Amino acid sequence: MTAIELRGVRKEFGDVTAVRDLDLTVAEGEVYGFLGPNGAGKSTTIDMLLDLVRPTAGTVRVLGRDATGDGVAIRRRTGVLPDGFSVYDRLSGRKHVEFAVRSKEADDDPDALLERVGILDDADRKAGGYSKGMRQRLALAMALAGEPDLLVLDEPSSGLDPAGAKEMREIVQTEADRGATVFFSSHILEQVDAVCDRVGILRDGELVAEDSVEGLREAVGGEETLEIAVGDADGAGGADDAAVEAVRAVDGVSRVDRDGDALVVSCADGAKTRVIAALEDAGVAVDDFHTREASLEDLFLAYTEGDTPTADEDESGSDPPDDDAADEEVDR
Amino acid sequence: MSLAAIAEKDFQDAVRSRGMIALVALFSLLVAVFAFVIRPTGQGEQFATELLLRFFVRPFLVTTLVPLVAVVIGYNAVSGERESGSLKLLLSLPHSRADVVFGKVVGRGVALSVAVFAGFLLPAAVLAVLAQTGGLAAFNAGSYFGFTVFAAILGVVFVAIAVGCSAAASTQRRALIGGVSIYVLFVLLWGAVTGQFLGAAGGIVDPLPVSTEQVRTFLRVSNPTTGVEILSNAFLAERLFSGENVNRQISAASMLVFWTVAPPLVGLWKFDADDL
Repeated sequence: MTAIELRGVRKEFGDVTAVRDLDLTVAEGEVYGFLGPNGAGKSTTIDMLLDLVRPTAGTVRVLGRDATGDGVAIRRRTGVLPDGFSVYDRLSGRKHVEFAVRSKEADDDPDALLERVGILDDADRKAGGYSKGMRQRLALAMALAGEPDLLVLDEPSSGLDPAGAKEMREIVQTEADRGATVFFSSHILEQVDAVCDRVGILRDGELVAEDSVEGLREAVGGEETLEIAVGDADGAGGADDAAVEAVRAVDGVSRVDRDGDALVVSCADGAKTRVIAALEDAGVAVDDFHTREASLEDLFLAYTEGDTPTADEDESGSDPPDDDAADEEVDR
Repeated sequence: MSLAAIAEKDFQDAVRSRGMIALVALFSLLVAVFAFVIRPTGQGEQFATELLLRFFVRPFLVTTLVPLVAVVIGYNAVSGERESGSLKLLLSLPHSRADVVFGKVVGRGVALSVAVFAGFLLPAAVLAVLAQTGGLAAFNAGSYFGFTVFAAILGVVFVAIAVGCSAAASTQRRALIGGVSIYVLFVLLWGAVTGQFLGAAGGIVDPLPVSTEQVRTFLRVSNPTTGVEILSNAFLAERLFSGENVNRQISAASMLVFWTVAPPLVGLWKFDADDL
């Protein structure tokens, strides 16, 4: 059975189209990462799964039921971590979880759930005094109540520090191992990387790519991008054409570009030290270098900010190309 | 089940607010002041419970302050959660929107009733003790308690109207405007507005098999504050649902039920169709 099935879904708010002709299927037991920049329509899509927002056209089915007509039955078997929610300031964390357990007619021990998300020590405090991260954990505890068949997590790591984000991923993994379907959205790719069976990338309300993480990685050939600052302040020791040619000749390098005094090198994993060595052999002073985001991130940016590899002809994609990644590190 | 869970949570949330304690204190203080004003001064004079209730507690407290408090408690019930985002948390759980609206009516209605009972009965307890010890002659505890029930009923009716308005409003601002309008209409301007209505609708009423006077009475009884006034008067006169104006009492009571149910339903109808 499919856990989530969207067919030709379209949502308009006034004259703004938030989601257009979206087809999406998530199998039972799958962990699906729903990616896209802010404003791409992720939350609108999730709101339609939960019947907070009704589609203008198309059908939304969750756990085999119609989302608009059968919302309560769906949510009885679904755990939800919403985005942009707020807590009941005057009620304690434990009261929140007790309420969730009662609402789902489950028999979980609220303390066990609070323990699992790491806020048991603060269970008796009023939730109004919780930090953003603790609120996020509290909502997760509420979502986990009643062993849901489906978990819908909207930007689950927002407000969490790296350790918290890791715990969140571990909980997602545990739930998936238990057999639950997990559907979560994010605008940060690395969160998705580790846990997802499959990812879909949404842009301007349309699904522009959908594949396994490995599949997406293969699409960019497993490359990484090096940014190398060369030369000193008065320009001496910079990279001349000969040096660029020398780098280009290094095994595993696919592309070299000059960016002011810096070199941008696309190369295979592991070619980094050979590139640096080649530059030094050519008499170039390597001032500083770093690896720009994982190549998967580049793919994500490519899909979501214009030049998509699938050459999606979309007149609304008005973002100027190629000025996004170059704005760090060229300020010397 | 779901409705009860929401009502209970909302009640717990409401009674934890500081406003709740302030409210009980305000009610108690006012009742105490009124009781002091009408205290028996001469020897052998009796404590005038009916006087206290009819001419002090009702006009100043019950039909003026209780509706105001009820509107303040109710107007942000749904719209406030909608604006803050806690509604997302609530509707992530298996609750229908109807559960939310009616759960709020029940939760906040009960919270206001608790405030009314606590605020009214604390000073009454003092009076009752004084009456027991002979410090005060003839405090009628039964009348007083019954009257408190009517005050709570009126509170619940106004909570229901305000919650309905809150459910229909897409923003807090609109809910606030709606709440103020409810108060102004029912408490301050009902007579004037219905008078205008009768004047304008004369042509429509005439062909109907009812007299203008009957319509006027109906409109008067339709106001929940008047309804509670009629019923509480009958109660104090020990003629509740008996005596010559029993029909008027029945229509007053049914209008109170109408105002408790209809506004939340209308609010729900709008709320249910909205994207949140």
